[in-house]
Amino acid sequence: MIAELKNKIIATQNKDSEVVISVEEVSKKFCRDLKQSLFYGVQDIATDLIGGRRKSQYLRSGEFWALKDVGFQLRRGEALGLVGANGSGKSTLLRIISGLIKPDTGIVKVKGRVAPLIALGAGFNPILTGRENIYANMSILGLPTKKIKKLFDDVVDFAEIWEAIDAPVQTYSSGMAARLGFACAVHIEPDVLLIDEVLAVGDVKFKMKCHQRLAKLREKGTAFILVTHNPHSTLNVCDSAIYLKKGQLIQSGESEVIIRKYEEDLCLNGVGSTTGIMVLPRKQNDDLGLDILSLSFRDEHNHVLPHLLTGEPAYLCVECIAHKPINNTNLGVQIKSLSGENDLVLYLTSTSDQCKLKIPRGKVEIRMKMPYCGLVPGVYTSKIYLRDGIRTFDSVEAFRFTVKANRNTSKCLFYQPREWEIVLK
Amino acid sequence: MPPETFYTPESMLRHPLRLFRLMWRDLLASRELAWRLMVRDLSAQYRQSLLGITWAFLPPIIMAAGFTLAGEANVINVGATDLPYPAYVMFSTALWQTFVESLNGPVQAVTLAKPMLARVNFPREAIILAKVGEVFFNFAIKLVLIVALFIWFQIPTHWTVILAPVALIHLIMLGTFIGTLLAPLGVLYQDVSKGLTIITGFWLFLTPVIYPVPNEGIFGSLVKLNPVTPLLVTTRELATTGVVSDAHQFWVVSVMTIFGLLLTWIGFRIAMPYVIERVSS
Repeated sequence: MIAELKNKIIATQNKDSEVVISVEEVSKKFCRDLKQSLFYGVQDIATDLIGGRRKSQYLRSGEFWALKDVGFQLRRGEALGLVGANGSGKSTLLRIISGLIKPDTGIVKVKGRVAPLIALGAGFNPILTGRENIYANMSILGLPTKKIKKLFDDVVDFAEIWEAIDAPVQTYSSGMAARLGFACAVHIEPDVLLIDEVLAVGDVKFKMKCHQRLAKLREKGTAFILVTHNPHSTLNVCDSAIYLKKGQLIQSGESEVIIRKYEEDLCLNGVGSTTGIMVLPRKQNDDLGLDILSLSFRDEHNHVLPHLLTGEPAYLCVECIAHKPINNTNLGVQIKSLSGENDLVLYLTSTSDQCKLKIPRGKVEIRMKMPYCGLVPGVYTSKIYLRDGIRTFDSVEAFRFTVKANRNTSKCLFYQPREWEIVLK
Repeated sequence: MPPETFYTPESMLRHPLRLFRLMWRDLLASRELAWRLMVRDLSAQYRQSLLGITWAFLPPIIMAAGFTLAGEANVINVGATDLPYPAYVMFSTALWQTFVESLNGPVQAVTLAKPMLARVNFPREAIILAKVGEVFFNFAIKLVLIVALFIWFQIPTHWTVILAPVALIHLIMLGTFIGTLLAPLGVLYQDVSKGLTIITGFWLFLTPVIYPVPNEGIFGSLVKLNPVTPLLVTTRELATTGVVSDAHQFWVVSVMTIFGLLLTWIGFRIAMPYVIERVSS
């Protein structure tokens, strides 16, 4: 389904199509101290009311740039991913684009109606019924009553809440309320849709439906800006992406390039993730007692493998340093495929294998033997953590590795090690 | 071709023509939304209440009962009123309450709508309009009480009663004007809504609600300076005796209110983005 979506996107893409959003040199400053922030707010209002210049390009004391000189363009039918850690200014940028707050420098030009999917169920009143709330919510999103009447059945169909439509929204499950909010937002057919980490509502079936609906909107020419921490969504939906870090635009371009850059930064500039070994920088404070030093795949002769081979044996080696002996360590490995959906391909933990790792003080290496690598060729990313119960000692968010094959896997999802023989009976 | 919108750091006052065009467009666009919001708020309000519309009647009745009893026991001494005293208090309290509702409405509505304001860009005028609509609705309910009152006490009415709504609208406009002026500040600082409660309490005593218009002393001139006095008194007079005692003062306050409301509207538009940027994220 996703592949289909992507093909359509590429088909509708056209460099000459009309620019719907243009952001030029936009900056925004904020203040962390509440009292001061409120005072600056009053000051800004006063200056603006007498038509004076706010000198907004300069920082006042206590302020910082939440966004600094960010610029990009979005054309009809394009999808742009916004990636960056928490507090990198993604939401601020979306709020400036939707016209909620004013930029401090630069200019934003928007053509057509912008619908924020940031605000699922804005204006929902828990006392009122689903029916009444659909009318209120869609009015807030800017639809005339006549049009809401026309769309009403579609919205309820989409949200699948016919049986509860006349019950108060406070009796809904959180999934139902989220579905209703999503259904309202995607039915208003905007020119630009701003999506802020909301694609995770509902169950798998509803998620599929959301994706299909979004794909349909794109065919009709709706442009998207998608904010997510999940690189897979970005890779699957967006053709281009921009990477924000502490309000600065670090890089913009093809989403694959940007995601790679983002993930590299995420794992603390781990060196040489393509060479098969990742060395982590030493931590300053060693309070947690156990730190990962490096990650690698090795063969039987302890040589670092630049890539895994399907069907061949390998060892996952986690080198770590313990500042005290730890008796019951749990090593967890979560592997996801970069090209696929966001599902886990493998989730292995030493505890679930009934193996309690006793770690003595000092430098040790934990090894997990894989007699056969069952992964099919591709690029994978893994999260590796060391825990004791729910206490986490250390974790690596994204250790990337490549799997290659010297045999035919027939485009299957899984490699089955096997031997053939004939036994006489 | 969809319309193009610009967002810049510049003050909107630097492009007054564009500002007025936008204000007009948003006013038109917000009518339907305001209606929706009003219906939403009213139905939610009455659905979660046992006494329902009784709440509109109770305050004037209780005020009237209290002050009539106090007056009969000679605890307080109010002068002669041109209506029977209980009717006078009840009618005036209903008018005063309507004014207070229109004053508190914008601050309350904007504060309550904070999460919505912080996420969706819709014409902000709609929240204020919805609240004004609510004030009118509540007054319509009180009207039942007032009509009953007029029949019960056999108060003679004059043909000028058909002009009374004009004065009432001016009274509500005054409340909305002050309320909207304070609303952006009220979102930033809680002091505003707290202060409003105290001030309206004090304001009531400066308004001829439980006593007739005084003519002497510092108190008399204070009451005369109070902008609510001419509007409230004129509404009352038009509805009952038909003799307007201070038409001049009424028009002075009305014209100031209308201009004030227009300027406040501009100010409100300018202030809201700054307020939203400070309260949320």
